[in-house]
Amino acid sequence: MIKKIHGDIINETCLEYVHKSGVRVFMLPMEGYSSAVAQFSAKFGSQDNAFSVNGGEYRKVPDGTAHYLEHKLFESEEKDAFSQFAQTGAMCNAGTSFDYTQYYFSCTNNFRKNLEILLGFVQDPYFTPDNVEKERGIIGQEITMYRDNPNWRVFTGLLEGMYKVNPVRNDIAGTVESIAEITDKTLYDCYNAYYNPANMFLCVAGNFDPNEVVEICDQKLQSRLPLDVKSAPFDEPNEVNLASTEIKMQVAKPIFEMGFKRPSLDGQAALDEYIYYNILFDLMFGGISDFFMKMREKGLINEEFSDGVFNGRGHLFPFLRGESTEPLAVAEEAKKTIRAFKKSPPSKDDFERVKRMTYGGLVRDWGSVSSVADTLSEAALSGNSPFAVLDTAAGADYEKTLEKLDDLDEENTCISIVENEIGDY
Amino acid sequence: MFYTDYDEIPRADYACAAYILTDCCKNFPNYTALSKRLAELYDASINSSTSLGNWDKRCTSIRASVLDNRYALDGEDLEEEMCGLLRECILSPNAENGAFDENVTALMRSELIDTIDSVINDKAYYASQKAAENAFVGEPQEKSPNGTHEEAEKVTAKSAYTAYMEILETAHIEILCAGSSEFSAAEKTFTEMFAGADLNRHDICELSVAPSVLKSEPKYVSDSLPMEQAILRMYFKAPNLDDKYANMMLLMILGGMTTSRFFMNIREKQSLCYYCAATGSFYKKYLCAYAGVEPQNIKRTEEAILAELRDIAENGVSENEMSAALLEIHNSLTTLYDSANAIGNWYLNKILDDKIQSPEEYWEDVQKVTSERIQAAARLYKLDTVYTLSGGEDV
Repeated sequence: MIKKIHGDIINETCLEYVHKSGVRVFMLPMEGYSSAVAQFSAKFGSQDNAFSVNGGEYRKVPDGTAHYLEHKLFESEEKDAFSQFAQTGAMCNAGTSFDYTQYYFSCTNNFRKNLEILLGFVQDPYFTPDNVEKERGIIGQEITMYRDNPNWRVFTGLLEGMYKVNPVRNDIAGTVESIAEITDKTLYDCYNAYYNPANMFLCVAGNFDPNEVVEICDQKLQSRLPLDVKSAPFDEPNEVNLASTEIKMQVAKPIFEMGFKRPSLDGQAALDEYIYYNILFDLMFGGISDFFMKMREKGLINEEFSDGVFNGRGHLFPFLRGESTEPLAVAEEAKKTIRAFKKSPPSKDDFERVKRMTYGGLVRDWGSVSSVADTLSEAALSGNSPFAVLDTAAGADYEKTLEKLDDLDEENTCISIVENEIGDY
Repeated sequence: MFYTDYDEIPRADYACAAYILTDCCKNFPNYTALSKRLAELYDASINSSTSLGNWDKRCTSIRASVLDNRYALDGEDLEEEMCGLLRECILSPNAENGAFDENVTALMRSELIDTIDSVINDKAYYASQKAAENAFVGEPQEKSPNGTHEEAEKVTAKSAYTAYMEILETAHIEILCAGSSEFSAAEKTFTEMFAGADLNRHDICELSVAPSVLKSEPKYVSDSLPMEQAILRMYFKAPNLDDKYANMMLLMILGGMTTSRFFMNIREKQSLCYYCAATGSFYKKYLCAYAGVEPQNIKRTEEAILAELRDIAENGVSENEMSAALLEIHNSLTTLYDSANAIGNWYLNKILDDKIQSPEEYWEDVQKVTSERIQAAARLYKLDTVYTLSGGEDV
């Protein structure tokens, strides 16, 4: 049974159904566009590093397994996925995040064939000791590349400082040591558990015929015995793990990220946190704020400074990031600003301005086929409507924003810093 | 887009002027005031940048973007509002008596210095800049369009303003509008803007581009920084290249897609690197192969890249490679229409062509490329510069 979900603000309709295999399907045809994007995903990310099937014992897998699996799934006994897509002209790729793995293509022609290839290769793993070994070097180099990236290192440093046990604190690709333990059996075990159709979703946006998607799903999606796969639960304390973390690399100016720890929420409650803290942090620290102007004039931040909310399955926190010769002074000033806002709340005019800005940014996303596909995937992952983020922003309420402000603990923070290891270069 | 010649005014002055123009203006005299206005216009944006451009000319780009009017909650004409704001930023900056505001200049000078210095944070970008210094000696592409740290330190409110006036008075100006509008407000604004402005337009920059000079012997340069992965950049030049379609196919087949020679043979089969790809400029007649490699694999990767280009020069390409490249190019061309930025850039990059082609016209011509033509293009490329950046303490 296909359900229609209408988004009034942007006047688009999303079609949603659960295929008999268990795969959840979201489709949003977009008139006037040339391309279509399809994303086929499994709820298996780097944070899922211990799991149980059908109530059995939890077993640990090496960090980086989800990412390793993603690399290897492109390979097959006959023709790898890249070579298959080369015959259709589609652009294909994949990505592993903390909470899911996504395989996707973008095309303007041969949509049917491309979707068949996508559904085909993701459901047809081919892992051998040899081909798993061959990939180890390439992934090792990818890990090395990220280790040379100070922006990535400051972010992973923040996650280590924010969380004590939440596995989101581990790097997505793992470490050279952890991936050394991954075998073809590890990959098959994880594949069989997490790539069960009931744990997967397909999202399609752009120029395509929904009937064709339904038809191809019927032909290509394989039914398997439903499994109850659970990632190991963890008891994350409310307090940050560390107040600060620091590493040294060669950077022009120290880089920092500061997180404000929040409890993990689901569904609409998580969405509210996401929207309201985005609004609140833009009010306090964004381009329109006194904080931004004063800190910039003092030379303590520059145009690289920004705020945002990091969120996903089991994690959410607002953050500040930037470059500064005195990151700790910026952090102290940020805490002071929050305390000052609690005493003297922002004006309603500024609230309305930032609300409009948030709304505008979200509406803009609906003009891009790949962004719409991303929005559908985020909805599939969170269980919210694809239009819920925009609706929540459009309906954001001043009083509720103040409640979120009161609820923010400006002392429960971690600051991650990448300091220059050499000094002047 | 404002295209200007590289002249005796330091590059940093032009770069700083561009920063100042979109940080504030007369009516919104600081960034906070301008940000508030942009927020009211539903997250509208105004950005500027200074880039090398394709034509041996500096490109100062001032871009504005805004939501379509149909999403305005109170029926505002967002296009008209935004065009007005863009006009103010360009023609009514926060300046008087031939100089920008001192405080704004000091702030922007400091941020420009940060931008110049922070190149070191991104090792791939740092490598591309250092490699360009060696590949394009004496050409506009040799130096960063932002200038040097030392130049930036010397920027004053007056010197940046002089660069700004040079832009207004001498630039070759291209105005591009893309998106879901008929742009009547934009057309009116920009027509009136330049007709009404009291500008002494003179010595207008003429767009031109010269092929990059091929060195008589390849130059090998190695740098080191504290880093784990090494970066290899190899520049090949073909001053006599004239077949842009064959060149595009060559770039795709060598290193422009996931079934390219570099990806399949160097990364997948030989596991030599995490990434290996090709880019280039038909106008400057160069091709650049670049890779992220383990330090001990630099030499092997360099040889593997040379071998792939040599193989195409000697043996041409297969039917499968031709077909995969054409399909991928077709996909890219037809996808252009889904993004205002992408289709806008397509036309901006064609302004020096004898005939500005639509994506469909380009597709007609690229389909006619044969393996022999790709082979002929590959034969023209000669190795010019090999640059490596790898771990170590010295800079």
